[in-house]
Amino acid sequence: MLSRLKSKWSYVVIAALLTLSILLPFDWFLSQYTTLAIFIGIYTIVTVGLCLLMGYTGQVSLGQAAFFGIGAYISAILSKTYGVNPWLAMLIAAIMTGAFAYIIGYPIFRLKGNYLAMATLGLGLIMWILFRELSHFTGGPDGMSGIPYLSIGGFVFNTSFRRYFLVWFFCLAVLLISQNIVRSRVGRALRAIHGSEAASESIGINVEQFKVKILVLSAVYASIAGSLFVHHLRFVSPGTFDFLASVKLVVMAVIGGLASVWGAIFGAGATRILSDEILLRFGQWDIVIYGLILVLVMIFMPEGLFVRLKEIFERLRLMYRQRGVEP
Amino acid sequence: MSGSVILETKSLTKAFGGLVALDKVDLSLQAGKITAIIGPNGAGKTTLFNLIAGVYPVSSGEIYFQGKMLNKIPPHKRAALGIVRTFQHVHLFENMTVLENVMSGRHPRSSYGFLEAALRLPKARREEEAISLNAIKYLNLVGLGTHAEHDSLSLPLGQQKLLAIARAMATQPRLILLDEPGAGLNTLEKRQLSDLIRNIREMGISVILVEHDMPLVMGLAEWVIVLDSGQKIAEGTAAQVQKNPKVIAAYLGEEVE
Repeated sequence: MLSRLKSKWSYVVIAALLTLSILLPFDWFLSQYTTLAIFIGIYTIVTVGLCLLMGYTGQVSLGQAAFFGIGAYISAILSKTYGVNPWLAMLIAAIMTGAFAYIIGYPIFRLKGNYLAMATLGLGLIMWILFRELSHFTGGPDGMSGIPYLSIGGFVFNTSFRRYFLVWFFCLAVLLISQNIVRSRVGRALRAIHGSEAASESIGINVEQFKVKILVLSAVYASIAGSLFVHHLRFVSPGTFDFLASVKLVVMAVIGGLASVWGAIFGAGATRILSDEILLRFGQWDIVIYGLILVLVMIFMPEGLFVRLKEIFERLRLMYRQRGVEP
Repeated sequence: MSGSVILETKSLTKAFGGLVALDKVDLSLQAGKITAIIGPNGAGKTTLFNLIAGVYPVSSGEIYFQGKMLNKIPPHKRAALGIVRTFQHVHLFENMTVLENVMSGRHPRSSYGFLEAALRLPKARREEEAISLNAIKYLNLVGLGTHAEHDSLSLPLGQQKLLAIARAMATQPRLILLDEPGAGLNTLEKRQLSDLIRNIREMGISVILVEHDMPLVMGLAEWVIVLDSGQKIAEGTAAQVQKNPKVIAAYLGEEVE
């Protein structure tokens, strides 16, 4: 019953998204928000990876911005400094970020819980410092500008309108792939690890390997998002990948409901709108507000705002339809 | 099946620092039987159990499963060989439905990975169908078929323990290790459990159980091994063991005259 409801839901969501993704840029009013929608798409990609890692597998990452940044900088440096085709740069970035995650995965997953959180936090800080200090490659604190656009043949993604479709194409692909993984043998293994590592081992799940693989997948997602980010803005600087960025990513995942793939859009959307439209007025205080949101959501809705709203909606619908007669 | 040896240990020893939890234990278990391991607290039952399951490495000695040396095989690979265990504290996957718990148990009997899952390739769909059919079969085996879509934690403890056995059985083991399956169950639930364990044996699967509940053990076990202070002090049928003065002494804490 529950799983059937869930799958029906996702079809509704897909249909709504497709409609929205076609209508959004055409509408004269909403077209002002194309840039916002692009960022939501980019951050959704990172957030989905974090949901798989944290929500499904139960492994905390407070340094996800590191992978986001590595992807962004490799794309930027290869395509601008070395004149590599941006698509190839994007592919190389994804492979290198994945390989990096694979290498650090085995030692980092010796740690659990708070220690894992500390290690990933350290990873994020180290990468942020490297982005600033390796100024010969990265342009240092000032960053890099003039990064080329992506293009297919003669078609250049040089308007927000065009990039909007590009980003959401990747975003929907990532969401679909992630949903397929969640509802599979692999997804069950990941959730099993979250549930009980001892029991997972006992039924033949290679816990360590699955943890590393899902870290690699989340890193590849973040890298793709990073590449899209630099080819959209044509600019990159270390500030985008600092500690606050990692915290914001966690906030996005938590608001969306950690164990919900489609909730990532909601989480990324709500957080971006909050930071772009509202929190700007609070200046430096925004990190306090993020902290507050994180604490409140974790205390009152550990399943996430999106999942809770979905539940309320389902309950209302059932009440409205048949006054609560359940088979 | 009967007559062949399913599990053998040679001089199996496990020390935690200075404490010798298991001291040169030799065992040879017949296939297709229900074997109980009993002994007072601290006798080394759980240690023996964990060594067979591979939770921690042996200090010295060897374990053989169907003639194959187990010492260096990591725990997650033992399920594929045909060894599975349950836990005293159940360890269900609380974030899953009853059916999904059992489906997880099909992990070592299926093989598709990230790529096939991500793209829903035919292999994934084919295997997934077999996984759910088999899972329902094992859920019915323990009588929980009607609870398939419930949250696993909504079940009472007795049914949670049955579910844990269904999940273990779904791996299609040759040998199933049950860690205090009767703990916390009422009389009716214990009777259901006994029936299920006999049923499992009828399927040709060897059973080892660690259990404190003596009536349950004596009613079920065809072979009883008694441990005390890390050593094997007796083995035999339930009737033989009960009369053994060493066993009586170990349980009553008296010196043997």
